Amino acid sequence: MSDERHYNINKLNRLFAIASIVLFLSLVWLFVDDYSRSWKKYQAAFRELEIEKTRVKHDGEANKLQALPEYQALQQEIADAQKTIAERCSNSADVKKSLERLQAENDLLKHNYKIKIAELDAARYRYEDAIHKKENLAHREPQFQKLQGSVQDLKLKVEESDQKIAAQHSRQAECKNKAKELKRQENNLSKQAAVLERKLRRIDPDQMTFANYVADLVRDLPILDLASPKSKIEQIVLNDITDDVNFMRVPKVDRCTTCHLGATNPDYKDAPQPFRTHPNLELFLSTNSAHPLEEFGCTTCHGGRGRGTDFNNTAHTPASEEQKKAWEKKYRWEAYHHWETPMYPLPYVEAGCFKCHSGETTIKGAEKLNLGLNLIEKAGCYSCHTIDKYKDWPKPGPDLTHLATKVSKEWAYHWIEDPKSFRHNTWMPSFYNQSNNSDPESLRRGQQEIQAMVHYLFAASEEFKLPSMPTWGDPKKGEETVSSIGCFACHNLQHELAAAPRTNDSLRREHGPNLTGLGAKTSKVWIYNWLKDPNRYHPETRMPNLRLSDEEAADAAAFLAEDKDVELMNKPVPPLDEAVVDQIVKSFMVKANTAQQTADQMAKMNLDDKLFYAGEKLIGHYGCFSCHNIKGFENYKPIGTDLTEEGSKSAERLDFGFIHIDHTKQAWFKQKLQEPRIFDEGKVKAPEDKLRMPNFDFTEEEAGAITTALLGFVKDKPAPDKMKPQTPENIYIEEGQKIIRQFNCQGCHIMEGEGGAIQSSVTQWLMAFDNRSEGDAQALTTSFSPPNLIGEGKKVQTEWLFNFLHEPVTIRPWLKVRMPTYRFNAAHLNALVKYFNALDKQEFPYTETVDIKLSPEEFVAGEKLFSAEYFDCGKCHIVGDKMPAGSEESWAPNFTLARTRLKPEWISEWLKDPQALLPGTKMPTFFDPASFDKSGPEDVLQGDENKQIEVLRNYFLTLSAKHPAVDARPQSPKSTGPLKPAEAEAMPQTETQTTKPSLSVTQPE
Amino acid sequence: MEILKHLINIAADPKILFPVIIAIFFFIFPPTDRLFKINQWLRLDKVWTKQGGIVLFAALLIAFLFGLSDENFRKIVTKPDNVPIVGLIFLTVFFLWLSLKQAWENDARIEQGKKTNEADDAQEKVLVWPDLVYIEFIAMLFCAAFLVVWSVFLKAPLEEPANPTVSPNPSKAPWYFLGLQEMLVYFDPWLAGVVFPTVIIIGLMAIPFLDNNPKGSGYYSFKDRKMAISIFLFFWLVLWVFLILVGTFLRGPNWNFFGPFEYWDIHKLEALTNVNLSELVYILLLKMSLPTNILLRELWGFLVMIFYFGIMPLILAKTLLKSVYERLGPVQYSIFAVLLLMAAGLPIKMLLRWAFNIKYIIAIPEFFFNI
Repeated sequence: MSDERHYNINKLNRLFAIASIVLFLSLVWLFVDDYSRSWKKYQAAFRELEIEKTRVKHDGEANKLQALPEYQALQQEIADAQKTIAERCSNSADVKKSLERLQAENDLLKHNYKIKIAELDAARYRYEDAIHKKENLAHREPQFQKLQGSVQDLKLKVEESDQKIAAQHSRQAECKNKAKELKRQENNLSKQAAVLERKLRRIDPDQMTFANYVADLVRDLPILDLASPKSKIEQIVLNDITDDVNFMRVPKVDRCTTCHLGATNPDYKDAPQPFRTHPNLELFLSTNSAHPLEEFGCTTCHGGRGRGTDFNNTAHTPASEEQKKAWEKKYRWEAYHHWETPMYPLPYVEAGCFKCHSGETTIKGAEKLNLGLNLIEKAGCYSCHTIDKYKDWPKPGPDLTHLATKVSKEWAYHWIEDPKSFRHNTWMPSFYNQSNNSDPESLRRGQQEIQAMVHYLFAASEEFKLPSMPTWGDPKKGEETVSSIGCFACHNLQHELAAAPRTNDSLRREHGPNLTGLGAKTSKVWIYNWLKDPNRYHPETRMPNLRLSDEEAADAAAFLAEDKDVELMNKPVPPLDEAVVDQIVKSFMVKANTAQQTADQMAKMNLDDKLFYAGEKLIGHYGCFSCHNIKGFENYKPIGTDLTEEGSKSAERLDFGFIHIDHTKQAWFKQKLQEPRIFDEGKVKAPEDKLRMPNFDFTEEEAGAITTALLGFVKDKPAPDKMKPQTPENIYIEEGQKIIRQFNCQGCHIMEGEGGAIQSSVTQWLMAFDNRSEGDAQALTTSFSPPNLIGEGKKVQTEWLFNFLHEPVTIRPWLKVRMPTYRFNAAHLNALVKYFNALDKQEFPYTETVDIKLSPEEFVAGEKLFSAEYFDCGKCHIVGDKMPAGSEESWAPNFTLARTRLKPEWISEWLKDPQALLPGTKMPTFFDPASFDKSGPEDVLQGDENKQIEVLRNYFLTLSAKHPAVDARPQSPKSTGPLKPAEAEAMPQTETQTTKPSLSVTQPE
Repeated sequence: MEILKHLINIAADPKILFPVIIAIFFFIFPPTDRLFKINQWLRLDKVWTKQGGIVLFAALLIAFLFGLSDENFRKIVTKPDNVPIVGLIFLTVFFLWLSLKQAWENDARIEQGKKTNEADDAQEKVLVWPDLVYIEFIAMLFCAAFLVVWSVFLKAPLEEPANPTVSPNPSKAPWYFLGLQEMLVYFDPWLAGVVFPTVIIIGLMAIPFLDNNPKGSGYYSFKDRKMAISIFLFFWLVLWVFLILVGTFLRGPNWNFFGPFEYWDIHKLEALTNVNLSELVYILLLKMSLPTNILLRELWGFLVMIFYFGIMPLILAKTLLKSVYERLGPVQYSIFAVLLLMAAGLPIKMLLRWAFNIKYIIAIPEFFFNI
């Protein structure tokens, strides 16, 4: 055979052997490669950590237990008891032997008994048979009788034996019971330690039984690991939250906890990643929190690819350049391109909150996101860029339809050219002197562009009457008015840029413009007219009417107009350059016309026409009309990109130009916000094609905060039941919060625990004008600040609130600061009223259900409690036109307002424990909550505290009836004493009043 | 070094590289006697010897090692998808060298009047079992082991479900289709995507019927089959392998050409204003506007096509392909000539595009008929 073969068989065999071995080895390699997954390493490391933690915890528990005196005593007792047992009823050989003997006897007896019973049954049959057949009877009968006797005997013996054994057993049990009870007590004490010990026995190889140890070793081996491996992928499947895979939506599957094993366990707070505990378990992950892990998973908020099980394919995103470098080294990290929602990097992690909480104005716990949203509102991003959340928000800039009466052309020129040189912290962004228009040619063009826009604005400006001032005004008095009346809740007067970064709180004082340099900008008369009635000049302004008297307004105007930035006023405005204006006009005109048509049209225009034409085009081009009302631009559409779903845009759609930054959305947004024109760098563009987003001079932190918000503006919304429930209450609260933000209510009031930005200026005023020391002023600040509105919905009647918001009345005449009159429309008023009610979970509309009638005796008792001998209510509270005797800082609201203003239920609660309703209030606690039953005076109403409160409350409610001269209207200025002439002088609003429900008050008996 | 890379980048532009390759090709694989003489004179046949092979491979390796020192080249070459293409280069060169070495050896032997190397092979007997099956089995084992190791080293580039609104740039066909994709640049899709692939298959099927030359059967030889080998290798190497290499390594974002050492800049723009033959004739040459009548407008294109497919075969039968015509007879010759001309159409169209920016010879977009 072999000679017929072409190839050497031995050589082939050898080759075959080699090939087989190579294939085998490669398959082993394949197995090993497939088996060694990166997450297994983490699980092994976590197991080590878990054992160590459990050991430490167990040792701690054990030590604690050993140190416990009770436990020590118990141990002693157990030892004693054991000794007794050993002595008295030990399992000694004799006892055991006798028990064994007894048992043996018992077994034998039972055996015999069974046999005898069978014999007896047989004998009975034979006997009955004999009776029936009447034969052999003599023989059968005694046989049966005898057997019956012996069975009876045996039965007795068995019972006797059973008893003996039972006695023996019970003697032993008695001994053991005590030991058992002691053991139970011990177990109770050492429950914690025992649990930990059991756990250790399960996971710690040192403490396992041998069988478990072997099982522990093999259960993770390849193939065997199909049964019950230690290392396995943990996953959370969320059927109602889906991932968009373009052609369909698939349930989210989050496997993050495969490696992040300690995320839900508070014991791993200091453990290294990936095992560290998630921060804030009360809010996230734990079963009782608002976002339980089983319902929300991880990637719903964090982004990333939940199905991934290694570092890269989960789309981790580094927080910083350093971390990126470290990751590249440690994990060979690279951006996971094919997943469109990579994890939010840590600095922007709050972006994930927005998709569910987009309706809220302030998202609790997401400070950075809140700051971002707040900055978007203040800077007015939404006016050029459509953002759904801000669909119906007012324009952020002032009305320019009457501009000519407010400022001069020179000022307008300088302002557009460089707003920040006039007012360092203005929200007006800079369009000029930017990176893409600072070359000499652009500068030349820019100057003429501004000229053209100013020309247009003034040419289009409508006439506006400015009645002259009744007096010249006293700047000194004006300063006091401005600092006390509440201007600084929304405005500030800073000449220098503040060093402290902007926060949500400081932004409340930037609600209105910084008042610096006002005299250089506009005239005293204009300021006077503005203060008297802001809506006349700008119907949609958010500036409220402070009901200033002519004199107050004149003083304030005189003070504000004193501040003049002379340097700016002296700067010359460059001359007009018709050639450049021509270029500008041409560049716009040729877009819709041929060159010849353009030339023909331009030949017909004089310089003014050209300026007007160019100005109009430029205002449209730069989008000035988005923020300002400008005549002729009523129907223009916003010029910016829609940002509603900007966070879902892929980075490929952003033009990075020649700028070398990370090609991520966040890097681009941040860069754009800090330097909007930078992506023009290195590009050759015509002036009108250049980027035109203006520069807001955001700091790095501000840009980061806005970036967080932008990243949160995403397309996909989770299932409705995962969102905050859209109950009427929640909707009312969200609506109200929006109005509160728009009108800056929190500039004065503390609402939902935030706000009161005015307080620092109240302190300043107390120091500067009321001659208080710094410490005093700080202590008195709350007394002279607008009230904290915690529990307002519970406190005041709906209808009163509605009317008050529409047209405020004086409640606290000692306050300098006053509630301004806002031009709320009916929708605003209703929303606010509903907001307060919803916040305190009040019925809406409010109906009075409490009986507030008083019998004559009760009336007397009420009077008594009210008097100086008892609670002395008149010491602090104003009653009608009678001012309290004490100093102003301790004054409290007028009782006569109570009937229409307060809810009786609230008064009762308030009397009972004011601190519970308004922590820190000056109202004394008459009824000690700790010993309520003994707290009231014993000699009134039989010392019944509840009755006392009820009577006192009902007594208050009669006060307005008892003083018919006083009603819920503001007091006359004469009655308020010498210190507050201005305060109570509510300027009657004669403007168009919105329809409002009428107030119907039933007077008490 | 940078200058060298820059020069290579410039030379890699197919406008230069392709004509150069075509020119060199016919000296290395001469189809006619005259070119064969030049080949002999230049001693180009020395490539197909052992020493030549070593030099060839060494040159290839050095070129690759040199290239790998460059970041851009490394990025493209080491991409998991492109690794087979690198293998393709080495394997193609190796087998080409192996077969031609045997062919040239045989040619030398025939010249000396000796038997060919394979002459004795026919005498030998090889049993299917065990000889053939056994070695096939061993080869299969090695092959399987190789694939396993490869798959462990280079993970399959699996991606997420595609997003229809985000297409990768460049979007490339699988490597074996890159030649067809390259054709799309020069031809209307129905030609490049439907007609040509069909004709390629028909053409391959037709080879046994067209090639009735008994020489070279059962042994390797170049001299005996100069024309056949040259034509085949031209289509295989230049129009298939080379186009795959171009598609893999030289086509970047927006399907622009990039040199092997050039950064794939997504913003790169090239002025590409292609014109149809009709525009060239009427607007540029005759200085008149395009006729509205479609047939009149495309008249010149039709004339060119009639000339190319109708008259060219006749001319070739009298000149270049005289011997072929004589051997095949009119029917087989016409089929051969049409297939050959169609295949030659590709490089001709490429050259026309580069030289004159010609988009279509016949352009009737009204009826989706463009050639």
